Amino acid sequence: MKKIFAIAWKDAIIRFANRSEWLFFIILPITFTFLVAGGVPSGDDDNRIRLLVVDEAQTSISQQIISELENSTAVRAEIVAREDAESQFDDRRASVVFIIPAGIDIESLQNGSAQVELLQQPNNLNATIAERAVLTAIRRVSSSISAAQNAVNVREAKQPFATEADKQTYFEDSLELAQSIQEDAPERVTVIEGTTPDQVEYDPRTNTSAGQLITWVFIPLFGISALFASERQEGTLRRLLTTPSRKATFLLGTISGQVVLALIQMFLLVGFGIFAMKLGWGREPLPLFVILFTSALAAAAFGTTLGTFIKTAGQASGLSIMFGMLFAMLGGCMYPLELFPPAIQSAVRILPTTWAMEGMLDLGLRGGGLVDILPEAGVLLGFAVVFFTVGASLRFRYE
Amino acid sequence: MNKLLLIGIKDLKLMFRDRAALTFMLLAPFLLTLAMGFVTGRFSGGSTGISDIPVIIVNLDQGDLGNALEDLFNSADLAELMEPSASSDPEAARQLIESNEASAAIIIPKGFTQSIIPAAGATFGQDYVEPEPIQIEVYTNPSSPTSAGIVKAVVDEFISRIEEGRTSGMTSFLQLMQSGLVDPQNIEAEAGTLFQNVEQTESNTITLTKNTEGADAVEFDLLSYFAPGIALMFLMYTVSYGGRSILAERAGGTLPRLMISPTQTAQVLGGKVLGIFFMGVAQVGILILASTMFFQFRWGDALGVIVLILAAVLGATGWGMLITAFARTPAQVANTGTIVMLIFSILGGSFISLENFPPFMQTISKITPIAWGLDGFTTLALGGTLPNLVEPITALLIMGAVLFGIAVVLFNRNGLVQL
Repeated sequence: MKKIFAIAWKDAIIRFANRSEWLFFIILPITFTFLVAGGVPSGDDDNRIRLLVVDEAQTSISQQIISELENSTAVRAEIVAREDAESQFDDRRASVVFIIPAGIDIESLQNGSAQVELLQQPNNLNATIAERAVLTAIRRVSSSISAAQNAVNVREAKQPFATEADKQTYFEDSLELAQSIQEDAPERVTVIEGTTPDQVEYDPRTNTSAGQLITWVFIPLFGISALFASERQEGTLRRLLTTPSRKATFLLGTISGQVVLALIQMFLLVGFGIFAMKLGWGREPLPLFVILFTSALAAAAFGTTLGTFIKTAGQASGLSIMFGMLFAMLGGCMYPLELFPPAIQSAVRILPTTWAMEGMLDLGLRGGGLVDILPEAGVLLGFAVVFFTVGASLRFRYE
Repeated sequence: MNKLLLIGIKDLKLMFRDRAALTFMLLAPFLLTLAMGFVTGRFSGGSTGISDIPVIIVNLDQGDLGNALEDLFNSADLAELMEPSASSDPEAARQLIESNEASAAIIIPKGFTQSIIPAAGATFGQDYVEPEPIQIEVYTNPSSPTSAGIVKAVVDEFISRIEEGRTSGMTSFLQLMQSGLVDPQNIEAEAGTLFQNVEQTESNTITLTKNTEGADAVEFDLLSYFAPGIALMFLMYTVSYGGRSILAERAGGTLPRLMISPTQTAQVLGGKVLGIFFMGVAQVGILILASTMFFQFRWGDALGVIVLILAAVLGATGWGMLITAFARTPAQVANTGTIVMLIFSILGGSFISLENFPPFMQTISKITPIAWGLDGFTTLALGGTLPNLVEPITALLIMGAVLFGIAVVLFNRNGLVQL
């Protein structure tokens, strides 16, 4: 036990001898979590899509459209001048611009000449969602006019109007009635978030926090391969084996030391999530520990396996970062898994990052407990067993 | 000039002999681009990657409108986007959401249709005019907010059409009643006619014209944004790798050896800078060629692409020189280079589009060659040509020149290229 601790302590001293290690250990992970989450406002902020609106008409109809947009749950209307909107759009600082040109009034609606314009950045999900919101708003405004127009037509089919003035009066009365029916319309859709316990608040930053934590912890754990490669390269491993220590002691010391460091790093990042970002990571400490510990084991095991295939520390370092980023991207740490095509969602289940992320989201977003994360923890342990078997037992080279 | 070239080409050759470096400079960005292709659905024909959203429909209404909503989710229009399945048990549907097996459940309660269109034989009375609000429940999965949002948008749009039809039917009917033009004997039949196909109502008094930038000229490929983003990110590693070689040569004694040859200091430094520049151009060029060959990317105007690559590499080389000027050992350059690469990749928009960042961060992003390079590559992918790239190219050239100037001052002060 003493030897294992001594080896782990030696590795920690070597790792932190270089001050820049602190950057990778805590400063960059926190900076990244902060920066990436900064692009995703918290639940308390207005996280609706920003829609630039240019109102050149300045009529009651344009005001009605804007008022409908302001009630939208999908977009946040921001009134700007055309030049400003176009400049932001051209610089790709705005994904969508809605222009209500001059001349949009009740008459133009009646004669069907009303035309509004939507500028969208291509292949932009926000722009597509904003388009839906704009369509709903103009439909709500135009539907009362349409309804009044339709009422006039129905009435005319039954009994023609005596004069044009009668027709106009009928239209105006119908419009007033249609608007009042519209205002009195009850809510017909209710949205319930399946978040389970009441104390779990949905916060999109949970995704970011979990994803960054996994990315930044997995990369150094994959870097265990560099530790092995470097000891082999420099001959210190051979020297160590001349001492009365078993090979298993060396392996256990090196791996457990890195796993403990990873756990410390994870708890620091979780602490940042709880105290700085007010995320609910502290709700279920035991399941959280289980998922973090099994994740660290799986990543350390992969690093051990990687170490058996690599010759130099330089190769190991590059490959650890490459695999870390690749696994993070495919495991849903950078983009939510739900955005992936279904076949890819299934395929990425062969990666430990996918299961680690799922476990974290079970706790952070779905309000799960110990029972809910057991499948993910089980699979991560399975990864650990397989990779340790390959890396430490079957293929490990001491020289 | 010959000496400059020789030093530059020598450094380029050394790079191609370093397998570990090549893994990071070429293999890593290539694999990340490949992964991005899978993630975004680029290789499966999707435009955004979102497709086959699993949604459970519990239709307890079984009336015209409930069935119409169910049909809408099963329609050919939504076939690619939605993967609906039917259930008769609301609790079981909610349970599937809890266990993360679907993105949303739509529960259409019994009597939904009747709350809008009265059944045949029902009294056309006060209840009809002020219908009891029977609500459709959309039960969403919090870990699939985007998919659930799309499901909700589809339901909202359907309800919006119904509401439009109901408003139109009721306005016509109530106005006729007020005018005394409805036959009391025939009131239900007349109402029925006015409320036919309410879910298909569509007013067209306002036309929405859409203008998707560049869509007419060229279909935008999502990977045309991410592929250069990843290439530019790893370019930051390459320039620091090149800078590292200056310090490594000094530590290894080959730099003083160069200095005692009849070669001017400026030529040595210039040659090393040229080497870094060659490495960057080779890396980005190979990545662009590979992605064109393997993934059939459309990068846009070839001349624009070449000039932009040269400018982006020059801007990045400036950063590589600055990092080298501040460092004392090759290891310091390697560490700082990796840190700068990672920070710039986020700030510059390699992985997350800059439009998602607050304005102050969009401004800060301008210090990175990645942001300017991406701006240029996106312009090209949208059908732009060289004249449209004046701003990013000028910014990159200025960046390279200014940073190089600062680096030279620091080199001279630190006596890096002196015997």
